[in-house]
This record gives sequence, structure tokens and C-alpha cells, in this order.
Amino acid sequence: MKKTPKVVNVSERAERESSFAKELLGPLVGMSVTFARMMNNVSGKIDATIRYPEERRAYSQRYRGAHILTARDDGTPRCVACYMCATACPADCIYIEPAEHPDPLIEKYPARFDIDMLRCVFCGFCVDACPEEAIIMSRETEICAFTREETLWDIKRLMSRAELPEFGLGYRPNAELVDSRVAVELKEIPKHTMAGRITLKEDAHMIRHVTFEPDKD
Amino acid sequence: MPKFTINGQEVEARDGQTIIQAAEEIGVDIPHYCYHPDLPIDGNCRMCLVDVERMPKLTPACATVVTEGMVVRTNNERVKEAVRGVLEFLLVNHPVDCPVCDQAGECRLQDYYMVYGLHTSEIPLGMKVRKRKVIDLGPMVVLDQERCVLCSRCVRFCDHVTGTGELQFFGRGDHVAIGTFEDRPLENAYSGNVVDICPVGALTSRDFRFKCRVWFLHGADSVCGGCSTGCSVRIDHRDGTIFRLLPRRNPEVNKSWLCDEGRMSFHALSTGSRIVQPKVKGPAGVPTAARWDEVIASINSRLKETAAAHGSGSIIGIGSASATNEALFLFKRYLSDRLGATRFEFRLDGEDRRVAEREDDLLRRTDKHPNSMGAMKLGLMDAELGGIEGAISAARAGRIKAGVIIYLKPLVARPGDDAAEARVAELVRSLEYSVVLAAHEADWQSAASVLLPIAAWSEEEGTYTNYEGRIQFAGRALAPDGGSRPAWQVFALLLGADGTEPGWTSPEQVFESMAESIPAYRNIARSQTRLPGVVIAV
Repeated sequence: MKKTPKVVNVSERAERESSFAKELLGPLVGMSVTFARMMNNVSGKIDATIRYPEERRAYSQRYRGAHILTARDDGTPRCVACYMCATACPADCIYIEPAEHPDPLIEKYPARFDIDMLRCVFCGFCVDACPEEAIIMSRETEICAFTREETLWDIKRLMSRAELPEFGLGYRPNAELVDSRVAVELKEIPKHTMAGRITLKEDAHMIRHVTFEPDKD
Repeated sequence: MPKFTINGQEVEARDGQTIIQAAEEIGVDIPHYCYHPDLPIDGNCRMCLVDVERMPKLTPACATVVTEGMVVRTNNERVKEAVRGVLEFLLVNHPVDCPVCDQAGECRLQDYYMVYGLHTSEIPLGMKVRKRKVIDLGPMVVLDQERCVLCSRCVRFCDHVTGTGELQFFGRGDHVAIGTFEDRPLENAYSGNVVDICPVGALTSRDFRFKCRVWFLHGADSVCGGCSTGCSVRIDHRDGTIFRLLPRRNPEVNKSWLCDEGRMSFHALSTGSRIVQPKVKGPAGVPTAARWDEVIASINSRLKETAAAHGSGSIIGIGSASATNEALFLFKRYLSDRLGATRFEFRLDGEDRRVAEREDDLLRRTDKHPNSMGAMKLGLMDAELGGIEGAISAARAGRIKAGVIIYLKPLVARPGDDAAEARVAELVRSLEYSVVLAAHEADWQSAASVLLPIAAWSEEEGTYTNYEGRIQFAGRALAPDGGSRPAWQVFALLLGADGTEPGWTSPEQVFESMAESIPAYRNIARSQTRLPGVVIAV
């Protein structure tokens, strides 16, 4: 059976509820917000724009920027060249060449670990896939270079990240599960006053325990 | 023929069949580690426990023979609970180092955990009994004692199949581990098989170690080209590179085994450089690259001229015992039908004599060519000529003017190979006009009038006939390298050069023609050459 749509005539209601005060003062109430905002801008209380690159926006704690390879306590890579990241990678931008590690308890390490930053889509699947917390992400966004070769980041570049203190760590869902460490000291990121605030409703803790229901048959 | 019921399904089993075998035949999968179809029953892993009516306890399916009226259940709660418990015990001391383990992706522990286990481990890694890792067991095998589930498949293989008995259990209780006496290397000729039969990552391949994760590999069913036994193998490859050869179970030929030489034979394909385009010897005697269509036309006209000028007896065809039946069939058809040639040979080193000669008691044979019997069946032997030596002297005397020669280097090397190759080289030098089909470059090829690049073993689809006359299908793993073409296609092009024949466009069509015209292959369908292959009278 076809339902007949209910018709609501708004014009009648608007006419009924309208008043002189609403007609005239209403816009003024709205304008007051605009004026207050304008005064803040003019007086320099908040910035509508930021002076990039001297200033940068503070990105969320879960921002997926350029990758970091974490290290063991002795400074060697945590990565065991298991290819989980390369398997999960939808852009096929990770190239790994494993080698025999002298310690039989570690057994395997990456002799080469290259990420083609131009191919990378920064989806963070590699971080999710990593069983060793060996690959995490930073908040770094500036992956510029004069040649294509420079955008192919090798294991050295991915581990020792001189620019990291400036940007800080990004997406790292399993930080509390393993004792990985980053090879650089992070400094406190200066807070910038911005137009509008970034508020995060959810944080990394909420997505940590993703469980899979296996097919029951 | 006892009738029994499994999961409510009434099945007729063969006499003496165990429950696990009968279940496998009807597609009921019973989890197992220690059971292997080609090894003696041991019954130690307890994974294959099933519920048999009127038996007080669960019984191992691998060690229980089916009897009349037996009622078996493999999927009720009692069985599942038992299997889950067994799996939990097997995993108690397992290091869970799947990220570095080469078995990951084809590991029975992983597979069964996802189906039967899914329990949370109660034992943290620090409390597990640690054992030795990365033990070097010779040229083929790396041992990791921690990952072992003590199924004893490898022990039984060395005791009963090779009879060498190198592997044994050491220690007691939690500390039992597989090993060899004083870590002596596993050096029998079949040691690579323990890697295949190991259901977990305890025994892994030295050669394949860390080369590639198994889920990236693509498999192609083939037949080993290492000797005249023709074991069924799977070629695992990725991005144009072969990573490993694995035996496929063929109860009629190789059971589940493959010799180490055969397993490593694919390395021979990547040693040395390949011929990438046809080369024609110019007026100055220097080989220069040429296009396929031009080369085919020039070969055809030149050979026809020779046949017209000096008679059809002046042309010889030297086949290769490493080429497929399809290639050899079209090779012979081109030379005999188009040019009237009657002189054919393929023997470089007494292949016909050695084709069935055993090298050991298990699989290996002394003839290191996969298709010597096929070449014999196609009639590529000339009793009058006196082998390739006779051909060389006839060429020197000027009785033979031109020749078409297929030469494929054997994948498994033997001391006589160089001498055999030298004989081919000598023949090429003695001929006035020679067409050489080869896959790999060699110095002597500069003497050939025309050099055609053909597909190597892994790049050609076709059939091989083994020592007992078993025709077996071998699929193609990789695309032919560079500008090379499968040998059958080269001869199909030559046959079509006059425009008189419609030509063959696939190896299937060639096989069909072969089945029509060669008496030995009569009435054989190509589908019959799939596992386990079809035997023709020798």
C-alpha cells in the first residue's frame, strides 16, 4: 500500500510565530557572532591563517604521516622482515630483502627495507599488519625532494629521522603492547593558537582490541 | 569391501583401509600431523581422534582399519573438544615465531589453530621450554627444535624410505627434540623431502630460506626435467623467478618424494645467459640478430634448396631428449614431410641404453633427460647412421649438408655432459648449413648458420614420456624469456611457412595430431596425461 506523504506547511507556522523583535533583532544576534570573531582576529587573539612553514598545524595523535621503523635497545631494527606490511600494502610500495641474523632468537632481519613514498597512499595498513610494532607512523607531511630517487626511503632513512622531533609520532595503535622505541628524542611540540580547535572524540585506545570472529560452521 | 558410516554418510571402503584414508577419498578432512600416505603409521600426534560408536574412547583414525558396520563421527563436540585439547598441548611450548618462520602460510599448526583451536594461550613466552634454533643440517635442511610437534614423519622417512636413519628423538618429556647425532649433516640424496613432509616449521629448506613468503608464490604443475624418471613436481614462482620445486604426490611414479638434485635442478635454468633473439650468420661469419618471420622463411627456403640439390638424405635432424613430445613430433614432421629427410638422431651419450638404468633404489636414473623414451617412440633413432659420431663423419665427408639441431642442456649435471655438448658442437661445425635451437648461450653456437632461441623447461607446456613409457603433462610456469618461443611453435611456423597447412596454435592441437599419426600414442587423450599419467607399451 502506498503511503500518502504528510504535508507540513511551514509558511503558516512562520507567519504565526513571527514577531517584530524576531524580524529585526534576529540578524543582529547572528551578526554579534561575526563581530566577536572579527574582533578576535583584528586584535590578534586568534589566527585565521598560520604562517606555514614557520608554523604548522597540530595534527591529531593518530595522523598518518611518513613511516618510522622502530629500533631495539641496541639500535638495530625491530623489523624481522616478515612481509606482513608488504602483503597488506594496497599500493605495493614496500620492498623488503631479508637476511640471516647472527642471533638465532631473532633469526631474520631486513637487509633492505625500502618504501616508495611517492607510491604510498598513507593508509596505515602496514602499521596495523605489523606484529612487532616495527613500523609506525609520524605526523610528518613534508616528503619533498628534488629527485625521485630521494623519495625512495631506505632503512637508514626510515629509522633515523632527524626531522622527527619537529613533527612527532603519529598513528601507532599498539604502542602499549610492545617495548619498541624510536631512535630519536622527541621534543614537546609548540602549541599554536588556531582558528577552531581540533577535538578528538575517539582515541587510539578505542581501536586497539579489534577481534575477528572466525567463520562458524 | 566393508561398508561404514561416516558423519551420517554411508561409504564403501576398500579392504584394509584406515578411517583417515577412507575419509580422505570422500572429502572428509580429518586433522593430522603424523599420518602420511607414504610413510608407516605411527599414531603419535593424536590429532586424528574420531568417535567410533561402541568404542569406549576416541580412537585415532590413522591407525584404525575400517570394519563392516562401523559408525564414525569426526565432527561432534566430543571430537572437537579432544582435538582442541591436543592442539593446545602441541602449542604449549611453541615459540609462535610465525613472522620469521618460512613455513608460515602453509603450516598445519596455523591451519588447524584457525579451525579447531582459537584458544588463548595460557603460557607466556617466558615460561615456555626453549630449545635450540637455526641448526644447520647440511646443504638442504635447517632445523628449529622449538617449532617441532614431534610427529616423527622425518624420522620415519629417514628410517623407512631412504634407510639412512640420521634423524632421531633426543631427550625426555618436555625436552624431547628432533636431531641428528652430534648435529651431523643430513646428507642423503633425498634429504629435501623431510622439509616437505614436516607439517610445521621445524625443518625448513636451506635453499628457499627467507627467499619469499609462500603466499606470494604461484604454482604450476609440471614434471621434473632432471632425469628419465619424470617425477611430478610443482614449480613455485613469482614475478618470473622460480623459487622452488616441490614434489606432487603421484603414487605411480614418485609417491611424495623428489631427489635433491631434481629439487635444485631449476637453478640450472638461471645459470648462464639466455639467447634472446634469433641470430643469423652473416656473410662475414658474424652472427647478427634477425626477425623471426625472416628467419623462418630463410630456413625453409634454404633447407628446400639443399634437399633439391643434394637429395633428402643430405639433411639430418638431431632432436633433444629434453624437448617435449610436441616439439619433437613437429620437428620430425617438418623434416620428413616437407623436406623428405630420413636421418634422425637424438642420442648424444647412449640415452636409449641408459633410459631405464637405475642410479639408486629410490627414484634417480642415470639418463638425465626427461623425454628419452618419447624421442625413441617418435622414431628419432637411426641405426645405420651410427649415432652422432656417425653423423659427424658423414658431415665431414660431405654426405650430410644441412642439419636442424635442438640442444637443451641437461638440468642435472653429470661428467659426460661436456663431452656430449662437444659432439653437438663438432657436428654444427662440420655442417654446411646448420639450424640450432637452444635456450642458453654457448660459445660453439657462433658456428651455427641460424640460431633460434627456444623456451626452457619451465617455459613450455607439453608432455614428456618417462622411462616406463608414462606420458605426463607438464604445464608452463613462466613466459618464454626474451624473444624465445616454445620449440613446437618454431616447427609449427616452419610447417606453415609455405602457407599450405593451417598450422598448430596450441600444444593441445599438436598432441591431438600426434595421437592420430603416431602408433604408440594412438587413442590417448591429452586429459589422460594429467596425474598420474598414462602408460604406453615400451
